[in-house]
Amino acid sequence: MTATLTLPAELTIYSVTQLRTAWLDALLERRQSAAAGTALLSIDAAAVDEVDAAGVQLLVALAKSLRADGTSLELRNASGPLSQACQRLGVCALLGAAAPAGKQA
Amino acid sequence: MSTADQDAGFIAEALPAFISEAQEQSMMLEQLLLQLEDAPDDGELLGALFRCAHTIKGSAGMFGLDKVVAFTHHVETLLDRLRDGQMRLSPALSTLLLRCNDQIRLLVAAAGDPLASTEESAAEREALVEALRDASGSEPAGAATTPDNAARESTATGMPCSTAGSGPWQLSVQFGADTFRNGMDPLAVLSYVASLGTIVNLVSEAEDIPDLEQLDPENCHWRFEFALQTAASAETIEAAFSFVRDDCTLELVPPHVLRPDVLDLIDALPDNTRLGEILVTVGAVQPAQLAEALAAQADASNGRPAQLGELLQERAGVEPQVISAALRKQQKLRESAAHTIGDDSRYIRVQADRLDAVINLLGELVIAGAGAALLARQTRQGSLIEASEQVGHLIEEIRNGTLQLRMVPIGETFSRFRRVVRDTAGELGKEVHLEVLGGDTELDKSMVERIADPLMHLVRNALDHGLEQPVERMAAGKPAEGRLTLAACHEAGSILIRILDDGRGIQRERVLARARERGLVEPGVTPPDDEILQLIFEPGFSTAERVTNLSGRGVGMDVVRRNIEALRGTVSISSEPGQGSSIEIRLPLTLAIIDGFLVGVGSSKFILPLDAVVEVIENRPSLSRIDARGRRVVELRGQVLPVVSLRALYALDSPELERSSVVVIKAGTRRYGVLVDQLLGQHQTVIKPLGRLLGSLRGMSGSTILGNGEVALIFDVNALGDLAATGTASAEPQGVTSLSRSGAAHV
Repeated sequence: MTATLTLPAELTIYSVTQLRTAWLDALLERRQSAAAGTALLSIDAAAVDEVDAAGVQLLVALAKSLRADGTSLELRNASGPLSQACQRLGVCALLGAAAPAGKQA
Repeated sequence: MSTADQDAGFIAEALPAFISEAQEQSMMLEQLLLQLEDAPDDGELLGALFRCAHTIKGSAGMFGLDKVVAFTHHVETLLDRLRDGQMRLSPALSTLLLRCNDQIRLLVAAAGDPLASTEESAAEREALVEALRDASGSEPAGAATTPDNAARESTATGMPCSTAGSGPWQLSVQFGADTFRNGMDPLAVLSYVASLGTIVNLVSEAEDIPDLEQLDPENCHWRFEFALQTAASAETIEAAFSFVRDDCTLELVPPHVLRPDVLDLIDALPDNTRLGEILVTVGAVQPAQLAEALAAQADASNGRPAQLGELLQERAGVEPQVISAALRKQQKLRESAAHTIGDDSRYIRVQADRLDAVINLLGELVIAGAGAALLARQTRQGSLIEASEQVGHLIEEIRNGTLQLRMVPIGETFSRFRRVVRDTAGELGKEVHLEVLGGDTELDKSMVERIADPLMHLVRNALDHGLEQPVERMAAGKPAEGRLTLAACHEAGSILIRILDDGRGIQRERVLARARERGLVEPGVTPPDDEILQLIFEPGFSTAERVTNLSGRGVGMDVVRRNIEALRGTVSISSEPGQGSSIEIRLPLTLAIIDGFLVGVGSSKFILPLDAVVEVIENRPSLSRIDARGRRVVELRGQVLPVVSLRALYALDSPELERSSVVVIKAGTRRYGVLVDQLLGQHQTVIKPLGRLLGSLRGMSGSTILGNGEVALIFDVNALGDLAATGTASAEPQGVTSLSRSGAAHV
């Protein structure tokens, strides 16, 4: 498992259940793999085209789980819709450019 | 099961009330639309318009009348946009809304009749909905009828509130777990809130969101706190959350600075009669707090009934002076409420026949009372006479009060014609401005109902025949827009209704030619000018060259006259060629009871309506002799007063007395005297119709029964005045027989 996840085009209520399962698998895999120690998980967010609060909530939850593992989440190339949504929901600090400055193990 | 039955029973019981109320709302809607054509930007009217539609939709919803709800919803959407100033009411839009209103009325009527089918109009409704959508620019999604939406609309009063924007509002919102499942998106809500102003310091409590393992991704865990810099009112802000209101917790803290503003604001508010609404509108209370307080008030009503103001003070922390300012405002509004349109308070619905029954009984009471008073006087016992007089006074007061119950302003009838004028003028390609004067003149309800049809015909006639096409008007040097005036006023115990137009007037030659053709006038005879005009009221007379939809079937004017005469009224027409026509209708104020002045000639008793009596003078010996028709003149303060002798006029067989009196009567613009033997004083007169035998007797309007059982005839002062004033030009045969009809056609 690489240290990179890729977000789908649709990050909405319609895809969250499916995504959560996939991400949980990824987390599990990550914990078992050598990457577990990595302090940073980069997520490529360029493709995100449609996003809603449920989608962002899922990202926040993911970040939380990662944080428990001592890993920071970094969104890269966040698309326009996604960065707008994060801003609107007041979570840009958590997901945005500030992420690299986040906790390090 | 039984509750469902109960519900069904309740609905069946309440449905007629709903229908009549909805019809009224729809009527008001129409009137408001028409008023708005003159003042398309009147915010109050627009607000009232919206409320009408909203009320119809709301109550139709309670009765499960889905068709009404679905259709009215679209109308309401458009009205909402109009009210918010997002659109302007154009004539085309107005026409569309009027047609929609017709549909609403149709649907509401169909709700009351299980056999009625609204299928045939379904296509038209669909077309209207389409047009409404186009007009309001809303997306065609049907989802708009959700209860959330209705809730949002019901909290908004459409009053832009600009003064509260001095500081930021503090908002704290917790979205419910089911938000996503209900198809709502906090992101969209926030975006909408952001459109109201500027969101500052938004903090999302991301802590509440569990980690991925614990998360049910379809549960919503968002919670936000932020400040909103905005000019919007508390309601508007709260409305942004209305879609999620049921499962979100919202706290709204208004800017701190506004106490003095609020007081001003309350005074400046236009219309709102509910204390809570006033407070909500100025932002002193939030709708949710109000609802809570109202609920608490309802709960507590078993014990000590709490004042809403107190409750709000207690629960929502509203300051006492704010509440008292609102209460003052409310008081003021209540006082003026009787005059405002769109005001639905303080009426009791009474069935007309119950009222009629009371009035009938009252008539009997008046007669019986008069009889008792007479007997009392005959006993010559002071105390008995006094007691009976007091009873008499009370009866009189009850009579006045009861008759007042039946009085309605004629304006309601007049405003019904706005639509007729508008549509008819449009159909005929004419431009017409309708002016209504004296709409608050009151008239007995049954009169109002029965005069509506004749009036309608006269109005149509004026539109169709009287007013010209714009081109024709311009050519005649008149403004392209024709004027039609409906005026009403009180005059000497009767009501005078006038229909004036500034059209082409009536061409006497054509009337005369037609009358000759129809055999209404003998060839070779030319009646006087003003009598020619009255010919149009003769049966079978119509001058229209072609029969139009509107009038010209030749069944009109004579029916109009018959209807008006059936109400003991008169109708006359005058016209200036090229300048327009004027039709005057005179009606008695009520059909039932009048104050009469009892007079005697020989052994006969007559009643003159007291309103028409100006004074009584002694009959002085005069040089002028009574002519063959019982007329002569006397001098009254330097003016000539025609006097009619009842003895001569009605060939009463009794010797003339030495001492007699002249009762001076004012009828319309005329004065004349009536020569009588005895003055018997005021008499409460219950009007009974004349029998068929006496029906054609001219100068009389009815009969009454006196206290002692005698019958007295009641004069129609206008008709009697005609007799007194008729010029010497027409040499009619003398006696009662000549009085059957003044119609000049018989000359």
